[in-house]
Amino acid sequence: MAQVKEITRKLEEIREKIKAEIAWEPVGPTPMPEIPDLRNWDMRLLKTYAPFYAPFCDLCCFCTYGKCDLTETRRGGCGIDIATQQARWVLLTCLMGCSAHSAHAGHILEFLIDKHGPDKKIDLGGSISIEAPHIRTVVGLKPETLGDLSKAIEYVYKEITHLLDSTNMGQEGSYLDYESKALHAGMLDHVGMEVADIAQIVGFNYPTSVADTPLIDLGWAAVDKSKPVILFVGHNPATSTVVIDYLRENNLYDQVEVCGVCCTALETSRYSDRAKVVGPFSRQLFFIRSGIADVIMTDEQCVRTDMPIEASKAGSALIATLDKAMYGLEDASEMDTAEIVRQMVEDKKHFAILDSRKAAEVAAKVAIEIAPQRRKEWLTEAEAKELATKCNVCGMCEQVCPNLFNIGAGIAEVAKGNFDLIREQFNLCIGCGKCEAECPRKIPIFKIMQTAASMEKWKVRAGRGPIMDTEIRTVGAPITLGTIPGVVALVGCTNYPDIRDIAEMVDEFARRKYIVVVSGCTSMVAGMWKDADGKTVYEKYPPAFDMGGVVNVGSCVANSHITGAAIKIANIFAALPLRANYEVMADYVLNRVGAVGVAWGVYSQKAAAIGTGCNRLGIPVILGPHSSKYRRLYLSRKEEDDWRVMDARKREIVDTGEPSPEHLAYVCETKEKAMVMIPKLCIRKNDTPQGRAIKLNHYISLHKKYMGGGLPEDIHLFVRRDPDIPLVYKKEVREYLQKIGWKPREPVGLPTLIGTYPSKVPVDAVIH
Amino acid sequence: MSAVIPYHRVNVLTGIKSARLIEDAQEYAGLIQKAKRPLLVLGPLLLKHSLGDKLVLEYALEIAKAANIPTCATAQVRAKMGELGVTPDSFYDVVEIINALKDPNWQGVKKEGNHDLVIFFGIRSDLGEQGLSVLKHFAPHLKTMTLCKYYFPNANYSLPNFRKDEQWKAFLESLIDNLKKGA
Repeated sequence: MAQVKEITRKLEEIREKIKAEIAWEPVGPTPMPEIPDLRNWDMRLLKTYAPFYAPFCDLCCFCTYGKCDLTETRRGGCGIDIATQQARWVLLTCLMGCSAHSAHAGHILEFLIDKHGPDKKIDLGGSISIEAPHIRTVVGLKPETLGDLSKAIEYVYKEITHLLDSTNMGQEGSYLDYESKALHAGMLDHVGMEVADIAQIVGFNYPTSVADTPLIDLGWAAVDKSKPVILFVGHNPATSTVVIDYLRENNLYDQVEVCGVCCTALETSRYSDRAKVVGPFSRQLFFIRSGIADVIMTDEQCVRTDMPIEASKAGSALIATLDKAMYGLEDASEMDTAEIVRQMVEDKKHFAILDSRKAAEVAAKVAIEIAPQRRKEWLTEAEAKELATKCNVCGMCEQVCPNLFNIGAGIAEVAKGNFDLIREQFNLCIGCGKCEAECPRKIPIFKIMQTAASMEKWKVRAGRGPIMDTEIRTVGAPITLGTIPGVVALVGCTNYPDIRDIAEMVDEFARRKYIVVVSGCTSMVAGMWKDADGKTVYEKYPPAFDMGGVVNVGSCVANSHITGAAIKIANIFAALPLRANYEVMADYVLNRVGAVGVAWGVYSQKAAAIGTGCNRLGIPVILGPHSSKYRRLYLSRKEEDDWRVMDARKREIVDTGEPSPEHLAYVCETKEKAMVMIPKLCIRKNDTPQGRAIKLNHYISLHKKYMGGGLPEDIHLFVRRDPDIPLVYKKEVREYLQKIGWKPREPVGLPTLIGTYPSKVPVDAVIH
Repeated sequence: MSAVIPYHRVNVLTGIKSARLIEDAQEYAGLIQKAKRPLLVLGPLLLKHSLGDKLVLEYALEIAKAANIPTCATAQVRAKMGELGVTPDSFYDVVEIINALKDPNWQGVKKEGNHDLVIFFGIRSDLGEQGLSVLKHFAPHLKTMTLCKYYFPNANYSLPNFRKDEQWKAFLESLIDNLKKGA
């Protein structure tokens, strides 16, 4: 009896928080879901897409029982085995990522509520009425004001605490339950990201309800180094926007150059299209060591932890503006502004200044004072050649390179006056600087690389935020029928095998009329390539969320709009209620929305959380080779796994035998392989014959292009009946199918996993 | 014996169980010939590097032929094999073949039962080492071996870090000779 009362009280509290009395949609089965609420959905996913663990370390060293060796059948002092330990790592990784985005959201929300008040209305323009698909789906709340967003982020904070608790020594003992928790963290991450970006759009008046956002200058050559330069590094635009306001208010904006590295650059360019985007994270250290920035302002996430050392070496002034990264610097938030400026200019001292107005004033004044005294010339080829002669090709640089290439060979060529190899290698460099740190002869490799860096200027389209409801209405049918062959979301960081891979992928799939969406550092890298006509992908393809479009949603936190678009398809196009109805939304996306994420160069914990959030929502993610170090994938065994679904129209379980989508988290070793996996992972059971034929046409043609001719060996698994076979390959596919004894099968009318596992959701709920 | 440090530092072992380092081609050949159902997994680096005037892939195919080892082509390796007039026995990408190998009941690429020795050749070293880690922990029913020029701690049997390509070339040639003799 007591337990019933407790549950009732809890439900009442939730209903109050989500304003359940406002009946914009009926409240679904899982408002503000807690750890167990979506566990059955997770277990159903994990049955087909089993965790695949690649331990990065054989030991556990989390507690004082350790180090514990977990090889073979050994268990740790607490009883944990190697699989469960990997799953614990995965959960921790996702929690780090989710916390980073959610703390960003919490900070920016506080900042903006302070500025505008909690009643500031959320208005994303005339073309967006479903303003917050994740918050509506997960929390069950339709946020109308900035204050409402606080409720969503408080829910996320609470769940993070419970999840993190489970990682303490001596608790969860099942790798599957840890995975369910990781999926929960991933889902929360998308809520946190959505809170952050909606708040930013509303609070900073970013572009919204518009596709054709400005084209922003991209690349270090775009930065006017003859002016004092302020560089923003990180993700949180609270400070950069205030700096721009300060410069405008004091008529200094023409005199000072403002630029950014990583996501703060994207955020800042949404605020002012005059702000330059230097490049992605992988160019951070390179640009800082160039000394072009007079003042560096750091905020949070993806900021090098040795920033004070690097800033000092480059002769730049450094201001740390957020409490997440204070580098041991003196907190000058309460200090007199003139005194801070004096110490920074005369004593070359760096400070933490957590008052953004003060930080802005200091940055402007210091930049203007020190810029004329600083040398900002790049190395000449003659100087580089001279420096390179010290290299004796010992190979130490190669041994520590995370991208496993031999920069020493490139340096040795420079010593001979040949810059071809190092120019090639600059495309492989992920910018960690380990090579230079390891060099026994202290050769300034990054400086030498200045001679390899292109002086070209490129363009990146400013992030546009959410996909418009009007666009969803246009593409909803062709995506779910398959006649738009897929949505390819290229996202994440820059730990690429080769930086050129991204633009090639964007170009390949936009040309094939997929909808290509980009975000974060990947959106910058996509712009760092020009075709024969001198156009970047942003100039070559339209910015619409439609076939053949290339859409930049914005920074890391804008990734929520990509997954949000998938939810919107279920809600707007298919008219399925989304409110507190996560399972129905995820089931729809998994079975009917041909979307795939490509996180080709991810390195961060945030990226792990984003990807895992995609997975819980039914979106598969392809990862680059470095990502095997995340320790876990979700793989199926296509010929052996359970591909049964419920045909909701006939109310019967059907064994489709069709592995679509085949995997949920998958690593490809090469770009060529990824080019073939992308179209395959866009295949869904809901495809019409016409749509399936279009998808298979791309799958086969890309396979022939990159795998050296012939048909994909698993093509028979995706042909249901003869009309599924693309016209151009009809003869060849028919011959193959006949040879292997293929038998036609009926497409499923309304495929769903609901009804194939224990769930509170009735099968009726998926019928629209 | 002091621990062997892999060439690429990202692959430094954090653990106790590490690969047996073998420099003797005859011993390697013996291990291969002792296996009942070996498998040779071919990675894309085999297309990127040459030893003398031959692609490393050509050495791999000679090894497969000499010991009658079925092959698994990963990534885009099959395209080059086709140009060389060779059809792989199977096509899986590296994580897929490892996922299948983990299952003791998998019937292998020849449908004759899972493999007892899996030889990896030409996978980039960080991904390769992670893949070997999967099998080390979750596939006690098989042994793993590498033919790349670096030490892989997570394998059962590995070559040392060859400082010079000539040493590696000599090893591969000697291995092929020994396998031919054994055949």
